[in-house]
Amino acid sequence: MYPKPLTYKKAKTLDEAFSMLSQNDDARVIAGGQSIMPMLKLRIASPSLLVDIAPIRELHEIRLDGNNLTIGAMVTHREIIESSEIGKNLPMLQETARHIADVQIRNRGTIGGSICEADPSADYAPTLLALDAKVVLKSSREERTVDLDDFIVGPFEVNINQGEILTSVIIPVNRSPYSVVKYARRSADFAVASMAAIVEKKPDGTITDIRVAVGAQSDRPLRMKELESLLKGQKPQKKDLYLEVDKAVEHLDPIDDIHGSAEYRKEVTANILKTNLGSLIFGGI
Amino acid sequence: MTKVSININGEKYSEDVEDRTLLVHFIRDHARLRGTHIGCDTGHCGACTVLLNDRPVKSCQILAVQADGESVETVESLEGSDGKLSIEQEAFRDHFAMQCGYCTSGFLMMTHHLIREYPELSREEIREKLHGNYCMCTGYQQIVDAVQDAQKKFNEKK
Ligand SMILES: Cc1cc2nc3c(=O)[nH]c(=O)nc-3n(C[C@H](O)[C@H](O)[C@H](O)COP(=O)(O)OP(=O)(O)OC[C@H]3O[C@@H](n4cnc5c(N)ncnc54)[C@H](O)[C@@H]3O)c2cc1C
Ligand code: FES
Ligand code: FES
Repeated sequence: MYPKPLTYKKAKTLDEAFSMLSQNDDARVIAGGQSIMPMLKLRIASPSLLVDIAPIRELHEIRLDGNNLTIGAMVTHREIIESSEIGKNLPMLQETARHIADVQIRNRGTIGGSICEADPSADYAPTLLALDAKVVLKSSREERTVDLDDFIVGPFEVNINQGEILTSVIIPVNRSPYSVVKYARRSADFAVASMAAIVEKKPDGTITDIRVAVGAQSDRPLRMKELESLLKGQKPQKKDLYLEVDKAVEHLDPIDDIHGSAEYRKEVTANILKTNLGSLIFGGI
Repeated sequence: MTKVSININGEKYSEDVEDRTLLVHFIRDHARLRGTHIGCDTGHCGACTVLLNDRPVKSCQILAVQADGESVETVESLEGSDGKLSIEQEAFRDHFAMQCGYCTSGFLMMTHHLIREYPELSREEIREKLHGNYCMCTGYQQIVDAVQDAQKKFNEKK
């Protein structure tokens, strides 16, 4: 299959990319190309200009600034898996990347592309939401930093303006106990249900911090703020946790499709939340 | 149209192509190397797997212009100039790791990469590394056997 005729340009610097994007109203960025290529071929997207941001050096950086790790938009899934900086400071992100797609896709696909694609079943988002990540957006006119939670709007939709480029993701370092789970029929497929959670406790078992997010359960990945506030500051019993999880999952509204019915997705979500929040809270189940 | 030069299997191919040309089309239709197959054309099946700068990628998921100036290896690079089969090809033949053969060039390029990248892989790990390659006929038992055997022979030869 061929995409519609288009013009392709490589940008070597951000300024070059901004000026290319401003020449054309329907110009699109191409990063790793692993999501946009199928859309171009199916002609769901048919931009007249593609601006390749791969050659831009600064988009490939991984940098520790104090308590934050800044990851450039063009860092690939493979580079996330292999980075010792990320392994030390964000093992949760590394584990997430290991379950994305397959070897070939991980060699090309990027963190920036995955965030901008905003597939409700994609893997990074629940982890990044639990980590309170922010994204940096730049255009020729301004630079803004936005909470990922506000950047994601809906299925395949993010809060980005024409001409803007997502340049990096800023993630607070996390070495607290975490859990990341992706459930799919074949592990290379998109998730039918997924979750990411971080839990900190006092020695007596009181939960001092809890952050939980789920994927593939709504039109966008979700932080489960209500569940978090019910559990924070508490020393819950297993039955309390199970009850609250069941109630929280009732509010979810996943799609019904060939990969899983809505009921099935909710059932799986309840189970992975109980098992994995359970082991974080009670230390083994 | 853009002039694209790609080093394929050690030989330089330069052509004026439409920007929308996929790398797999450049390989098959411009360089006329027909060993790389198009299966799904959606990024799932891995029949189109080639090595781009030594890393396996799906050539239906990349534009030829993106690979301008880079180097690519396809299944045609495996056979020696004396016509002898490579370790990977021998192993796939010995283990009957194909039936129709449509997926085989993709699996061979993955195998070529895996045995060089990792000194040892368990059967489970091999299966995980092959998630991006589908075979509609053989079942994966013999394919995993072939990869393990190729890895052993490659290590012995080193
Ligand atoms: C077979 C297959 C299986 C997959 N399985 C999974 C999976 O299991 N889990 C998962 O999470 N993902 C999966 N993916 C998606 C994969 O992770 C993609 O790599 C990722 O979603 C997109 O990243 P990319 O760099 O390839 O983006 P591209 O395809 O290049 O771009 C995607 C979109 O984002 C825009 N964009 C990209 N970068 C920027 C930027 N820096 N600033 C502004 N806009 C930008 C583009 O214009 C485009 O609209 C799969 C993909 C395939 C083909
Ligand atoms: S033809 Fe490229 S992945 Fe199937
Ligand atoms: S041998 Fe027929 S698809 Fe693999």
